[in-house]
Amino acid sequence: MGNIMSVSFAPECTDAKLQYDDCFNKWYTEKFLKGKSLENECTEFWDTYITCVNSALAKQTVKPMLDKAREDQPFTSEEIRESAGTSKK
Amino acid sequence: MKLFETKHYFNYPWDQVTAANWQKYPNELSTHVVSVDILAREIDVENKTLRTERLIGCKQAIPNWLSFIVGGQKLSYVREVSEVDLVNNTLVMKSHNLTMNHILLVNETVIYRPDPELKTRTLFQQSAEITAYATISRICDKLEEWSVERFGQNAKTGKLAFEGVLDTLSRKWEESGVFVSDVLKDINNEVSEKTNDVVNEVSKLGIFKFNKNVTQSPVQQTEVN
Repeated sequence: MGNIMSVSFAPECTDAKLQYDDCFNKWYTEKFLKGKSLENECTEFWDTYITCVNSALAKQTVKPMLDKAREDQPFTSEEIRESAGTSKK
Repeated sequence: MKLFETKHYFNYPWDQVTAANWQKYPNELSTHVVSVDILAREIDVENKTLRTERLIGCKQAIPNWLSFIVGGQKLSYVREVSEVDLVNNTLVMKSHNLTMNHILLVNETVIYRPDPELKTRTLFQQSAEITAYATISRICDKLEEWSVERFGQNAKTGKLAFEGVLDTLSRKWEESGVFVSDVLKDINNEVSEKTNDVVNEVSKLGIFKFNKNVTQSPVQQTEVN
């Protein structure tokens, strides 16, 4: 759509990422925000992109750091809701 | 541990702000962000919530006195988890640094929600906890101080950068009309609410009775009283 979008940390995944982003942004603005869709409609692009990212991650030193961070601070929905003061009673 | 807190209003409706959030990078001012990846994304249908995990790659200039500790690492990574909650109209983003976090851990929380007073603008609240773990306490103090200062500078640039992104996108959206109907509805509601308020105030004051003050505006009248 002519918008400049950010690249992937793994250069070989950037093309797949841009295609996915394009699809996602369209879905997000035109459907999700308007309450028209609660279903991810970009699964094809997503599968290609995330497969690329996961295989790139496995080769990078960032993977163990990421795993540890997820374990130390999962940032669960409960935590997030608590920050916003929207926790369910 | 040191705490940094700030708030700001963006003069755009919440839904547009959340949409622009996905397209924030790259922008001219945030040149330190070199990559953005989505690691996971799921929808909680029951709570109408979209949860996203992202990996953000940054290059950050660090002061010389710090580089001997961190070994001159040029690229650092941040993990961010966000939730867009359509029931409560909140976008919450929590993030922390993955690189060098045994020395310095920055825990940031950002919340975007519609300003309850004026739904055409968005309240942005940002807070960060900064903890230095080095063993020599003087270095820790200095490190925390520097980080808070640095965080404050970056936060300012970040806001400015996001304003630019919002401006560009809102123009694009205006052309495509994707947000128009909802925004107009909001403005109309806002206007009619405000109009009702003014009308109510005015009728309470009773200035439409025949008197000399009739030329004075109702707003001035309320302020004087």
